[in-house]
Amino acid sequence: MPVGRAVSVVRFGRPPAIRKPLPISPKTRLPQPPVKIVTREIAPCRLEDHYYSTLQDDLMYLTYTHELGPRPPPRQIRLTYDPNNPYSKYRYNPPVGGSQLGRKSPPPCTAENVVQLEKVQIHIMNKEAIANRSQLLGTIMALRSLTGETEKGGGQHAIDGVQVVRGKKQVGGWIRKGIPVGAKVTLKGPAMYDFIGSLVEFVLPRIREFQGVELPPPSANTETPAAVSGVVSFGLPPSAMAFFPQIEVNQDAYPKMYGMHIHFVTNATGVGAQDRARALVSGFQIPFVRKS
Amino acid sequence: MFERAYYSYQARLRRALSNPFPYDFYFKQGSILETRFNMEEQKRERRAFGPTFGKEDDFDKERAAANRAAAQQLAEQEGESEEMMPRVHPSDEARDYKSLDRKGKRNLYLLLKDANDAWRFPQGSVEKGELLHQAAQRDMYAECGEHMDAWIVSRNPIGHYKPPMTLSPKGSPFPEQVTFFFKAHIMQGQCRPADNVKDFAWLTKQEIESYVDKHYWDGIKDILSDH
Repeated sequence: MPVGRAVSVVRFGRPPAIRKPLPISPKTRLPQPPVKIVTREIAPCRLEDHYYSTLQDDLMYLTYTHELGPRPPPRQIRLTYDPNNPYSKYRYNPPVGGSQLGRKSPPPCTAENVVQLEKVQIHIMNKEAIANRSQLLGTIMALRSLTGETEKGGGQHAIDGVQVVRGKKQVGGWIRKGIPVGAKVTLKGPAMYDFIGSLVEFVLPRIREFQGVELPPPSANTETPAAVSGVVSFGLPPSAMAFFPQIEVNQDAYPKMYGMHIHFVTNATGVGAQDRARALVSGFQIPFVRKS
Repeated sequence: MFERAYYSYQARLRRALSNPFPYDFYFKQGSILETRFNMEEQKRERRAFGPTFGKEDDFDKERAAANRAAAQQLAEQEGESEEMMPRVHPSDEARDYKSLDRKGKRNLYLLLKDANDAWRFPQGSVEKGELLHQAAQRDMYAECGEHMDAWIVSRNPIGHYKPPMTLSPKGSPFPEQVTFFFKAHIMQGQCRPADNVKDFAWLTKQEIESYVDKHYWDGIKDILSDH
């Protein structure tokens, strides 16, 4: 029997004939495929390759601190949680608080725990949405077109898409508990790197009078939870949103332009985590400047 | 070949499982922008799901044709049909080991051929009172010329190499020598080797193995990048 040759590896030939109709999912009322489909990358990711080929090695050499021998065991500051102890088995294990959190030493430098970007979170607050919640639509749509994320889009069950942020508590004259005030989206993997790419190549160079993200003064406290959690955050003004090519192509569709907060969440922890996280983020060509 | 097939299969899956696109918000009804998006989207869908996928549902055929022509003109003005650069550079085909454009994705390392016809990394000696990374930078410029913009990444050496012990003519061993390696990036420019250097080449990790001798390779192979 002659075997037919495919015309092209990237073209779709003919769909297979459906012999038996697929079962309908009771949840979505859509045909359910017989296997669990997981989608992976659809294109090579330039910035991710850059991280693994260049940045990872460089950051390891830049942030390396030499330690002689193994570390001494940590000082027991209180009774520790022992899951095998029947008394503490199902009890709440409170996290270490107080002033010790900011003094926790970073894990030892090895090739395995080089600082790495885990996720990028974008957050937009829209004050007008407090009075009129339909104002939030423009914010959500802007975030959708900026990131391309939708809930479980592309069959990725772990993707939440654009989420509405609600007020946490009542603040007189400003916000009420439970009302929608903004939107946020969490980016991971290739979508995250694509966003950083468009931010660095199209937006930051076109912002007027932008020298770089301002660093805190040298006198700033380095033991705050923010300084040891390995997150780099900065904001963009509303004028910057129009520079994203995703928004620029049909800027008239949005009621107005919004400013946004961007958080780069890395795996750095312990003393100096903020510096290591900044070293990583600046490796993706986001400039930092000292306050003059 | 496999990479292209894999990516196009994944893209097809993702397209099939994607959420519906809210046309009403992003486009004004009947605008050129909408027509253009629809045309491009149809092209992408047919590439993914076969040439018979989707149907044209225009109420007003003439107006749709006019819109399509306008959208095509707009696309041509903006230079939509620009071709992507190939991944293989002419210097790859010409086997030009002196070019920095070769082996696009890979890390390249600069190897020099010294007076003894042995290939090695740029190296030199430390002066008294000098820090190691300063010496590395000075020695690099001394052997590779000033015509490159390079940056020593870290103050820590990334590895070291001890040559095999040799005996002097009298029979006593020479004092032990250690070479410390530093990582540097070249930003622009090119190596112009000094007079005592016979040749130079930009090589990937795997290519370096065939150039250097076995003992040197065992000393340096773990500091080179596999990417």
